[in-house]
Amino acid sequence: MPPRFSLPCRSASAYFSKRPGPSVLGRLRGQHVDAGLSSPRRARAAPSPPEAQGVEGEPSISENQLLLSSAQEALATPGLHFTDGHGPLGPTGRGRQTRRMNLYGAIREALGTALGSNPKAVIFGEDVAFGGVFRCSMGLMEEFGKKRVFNTPLSEQGIAGFGIGFASVGATAIAEIQFGDYIFPAFDQLVNEAAKQHYASGGAYPLPGGSLTIRAPIGSVGHGGLYHSQSPEGFFLGAAGLKVVIPRSPIQAKGLLLSAIRDPSPILFLEPKILYRAAVEEVPIDDYTLPLGQMEIVRPGTDLTLISYGLPLYTCLNAITLLHDPPATLMPLLPDKLRPPRPISIQLIDLRMINPLPINSVVEAIKQTGRVVIVHEAGPSGGVGNNLAGELGRRAFEYLEAPIGLVSGWDTPVPLTFERFYQPDVIRVFDKLLETLSY
Amino acid sequence: MLRPIKICIISRHVKVRQPHILSRPLITGPPPNIPPKHYQTPTSTPLPHPTPLDPSFQPDPETGDGKPLYVPGSPAERHASQGRRSSPLRRGMHESWWAKEMGWFNAVAKTIPTFRILDEEGNLVKDGMIPEVCQTHLQLSFTYKIMTLIPVVDNVLYQSQRQGRISFYMQCAGEEAAIVGSAAAMRSGDEMFGQYRESAALLYRGFPLNSLMAQCFGNVEDLGSKGRMMPVHYSAPEVGLHTITSPLATQMPQAAGVAYALKLDENRQGDCVICYFGDGAASEGDFHAALGMNSVLGGPCIWFCRNNGFAISTPIIDQYAGDGIASRGPAYGLDTLRVDGNDALAVLTAVREARRRAVEGQKGVLVEAMTYRVGHHSTSDDSSKYRPVEEVQEWTVVDNPLQRFRAFLVNKEWWSEREENDLLKKNKADVLKAFARAEKLPKPKLGEMFNDVWAVAKGEEVPHVIIEQRAELGRLLKKYGDVWEPWRRERKRYVEEGEDVMDCASRGS
Ligand SMILES: Cc1ncc(C[n+]2csc(CCOP(=O)(O)OP(=O)(O)O)c2C)c(N)n1
Ligand SMILES: [Mg+2]
Repeated sequence: MPPRFSLPCRSASAYFSKRPGPSVLGRLRGQHVDAGLSSPRRARAAPSPPEAQGVEGEPSISENQLLLSSAQEALATPGLHFTDGHGPLGPTGRGRQTRRMNLYGAIREALGTALGSNPKAVIFGEDVAFGGVFRCSMGLMEEFGKKRVFNTPLSEQGIAGFGIGFASVGATAIAEIQFGDYIFPAFDQLVNEAAKQHYASGGAYPLPGGSLTIRAPIGSVGHGGLYHSQSPEGFFLGAAGLKVVIPRSPIQAKGLLLSAIRDPSPILFLEPKILYRAAVEEVPIDDYTLPLGQMEIVRPGTDLTLISYGLPLYTCLNAITLLHDPPATLMPLLPDKLRPPRPISIQLIDLRMINPLPINSVVEAIKQTGRVVIVHEAGPSGGVGNNLAGELGRRAFEYLEAPIGLVSGWDTPVPLTFERFYQPDVIRVFDKLLETLSY
Repeated sequence: MLRPIKICIISRHVKVRQPHILSRPLITGPPPNIPPKHYQTPTSTPLPHPTPLDPSFQPDPETGDGKPLYVPGSPAERHASQGRRSSPLRRGMHESWWAKEMGWFNAVAKTIPTFRILDEEGNLVKDGMIPEVCQTHLQLSFTYKIMTLIPVVDNVLYQSQRQGRISFYMQCAGEEAAIVGSAAAMRSGDEMFGQYRESAALLYRGFPLNSLMAQCFGNVEDLGSKGRMMPVHYSAPEVGLHTITSPLATQMPQAAGVAYALKLDENRQGDCVICYFGDGAASEGDFHAALGMNSVLGGPCIWFCRNNGFAISTPIIDQYAGDGIASRGPAYGLDTLRVDGNDALAVLTAVREARRRAVEGQKGVLVEAMTYRVGHHSTSDDSSKYRPVEEVQEWTVVDNPLQRFRAFLVNKEWWSEREENDLLKKNKADVLKAFARAEKLPKPKLGEMFNDVWAVAKGEEVPHVIIEQRAELGRLLKKYGDVWEPWRRERKRYVEEGEDVMDCASRGS
């Protein structure tokens, strides 16, 4: 056996800032009540979703106001539709249960619900049998059997094509691509086959009841580099026929994923991987869906519309907070008319689906505010921001009082050591808000 | 149809989990009822010809040129079949005949033996001889040195990831013989494509420890990826290593391209490509594309599969139902060998011969090294969730590639306990020194984020989008770099603390 020895501990002043302080982590872990499946050992040991990274000076994801931490708030989620047909008070009239869950727990709930309610549904992908590298299918093979929850050989094009075929005869395929970064071998199957199948067959395929959902984690975790931090959603914007959905939180993920699984269109369901553990909400435990294809106004506002989806929504909310209550060091940078206590009212929109874009409702929203900033992680070229800005510019030109702002990654691959300065972080959104508001 | 093969795979597993591990009979050769060898395939065998042969073509009776692979029988028989094959119905077949019975089959060879020289205890297998290539004691002890160095490197970097000092790591525990043995069989001018678990091959080829550590820390001395890539994604043209990227099997068609370029290049006759890949990666479409292209177009390439039993959590029984990866070689007309990947001598010997065949025949050769991934897949993995810890321990005890090789060297009196102790001490000291040095160095200049995105011809400018975006970050850094605490702290990690980007007039460095 190779010799073992321990390393000297790094000094407190080390420049390394990869890990959150113990307090942040401790708090996060304390909150995990993910379907009773996490044990202290599990929480510590890999395979693990990336740790949420607390950045000093910014509130951590788990503390973000986007996350609904009470049952009442959760049950009041707009568009929530319980499959049993009863409202938020449930069949008994005495209310519904919720449980604290992180994002992977909520995905797992949705997958379990889909398998339980549809005997023709199967789940497959690389390493899904033991629970998936992000733990989203944990325990499902044990519960539903190896025929319905299984590992595939390591081939993304195989997984996508297999799913298309499986769904084409009226069954429900729920496939996992292990990382969004590795979806490209499946690109041909997704763009040329899944997206076009309905059109090419004159609406005949997939046969009635058939449905294909492909899940994949996306986005930066702060230390993933070129091949573990990409946001590839922009590549699918031209794939008419293939819906692309990106949830922002556990409640949203469960409802949108169940809608996606039950939707006849092929759907790419992209999950911001940093949220798997970090985002925790009170999630209703009953079978429910959220409407596909509708954007949601998550914060009302009148002066500017901030548009995003997935993880950067948290950054956006932090930037709004920063603008309302800037630290003394930033105060001198604020133009007079933006200094507190002047109340600046910013509307925050979660697109939720980026293909097709819920364009009409977004246009209506921005007509009210006249100023727009779009935020996403992928670089600007070929991305959602420029696509959306083009549509908005054409449709609402006379309502706009400032150029449409875009805060995004750069047009470079995602570089490991420089990821902090690649991502659209809170200060970059803050700056774009200042610029657009004072235009 | 597939059943016999499945049983064979499962029984491999069962064997591994046997409780009385040491009483298990050591496999030292094929079962007596199976001939040890299949058909001989001389090196000079050219690539199968994909297009119908010119009817006037006559195989050279001396060299056997034009002789198809895996075909028994006399040259005369083959000559006769030549005419038959020019029928359009027979295009692309080596040799076939009309049959009135249906002859279904699911394997080309009844069984694929595993070549080994040493048994699990380091003794020569029955009637075994030490091949000539292994008789130079110097090379063998260097091979052994690298095999003992890599566990130390892996241990230090693995632990350091655990402590948050680097972002990620992958070890090669259990596969030292397969990786170093194959590296030892190559020459310095050869080209190498790795998957990601082959750092040891890189060290064998002379990649300095300091450079290895620099890459893992992504510090200013990381010349390969300039801090842009995750740890273990080395890039070292100076030792012939093509950049490691994470997408699996993408390196394989590229290796076929390099092999073809070598075949065309007059100045590189005699050089060879080695392309490593895993049992999981072999399921990707790129694997098949690569072997297909290389088999048709030619070019010296060794396709070296590390069959370590797992692709992350997925055991090989979930990965393929055929007879391993080796069974696919004949499907592409490639010379193929399965080797005991825990036997450094066998791997070295096999890859030497593979290299000879590849270079002399200007063609691809497939080697499947059977081994076991003793470590976790990576620092993001905990393998106890999908395989019993005892199974792993058993492999490290019963079939430890290091111990096996060391026992052989000691038996031959080519290695002593004193040398062993000195080496362990030296390894530990060297690694810790390089580690400490790399950790102290700052990150590259922030501007490296924007460099090299586009290859720019001399005298040309970087595309404007890069210049603008770099300038935008520079403007923001000027404005917030001191007053926004997270940025003020973060930029200190880089050489020049981001000043290079703030200098907006600059046009890349
Ligand atoms: C195209 C692609 N799909 C998925 C992955 C994620 N992934 C990384 S390593 C790995 C397993 C590879 O197994 P194998 O080829 O056997 O190599 P080993 O890790 O055993 O050395 C997977 C699925 C990837 N890197 N690239
Ligand atoms: Mg493997």
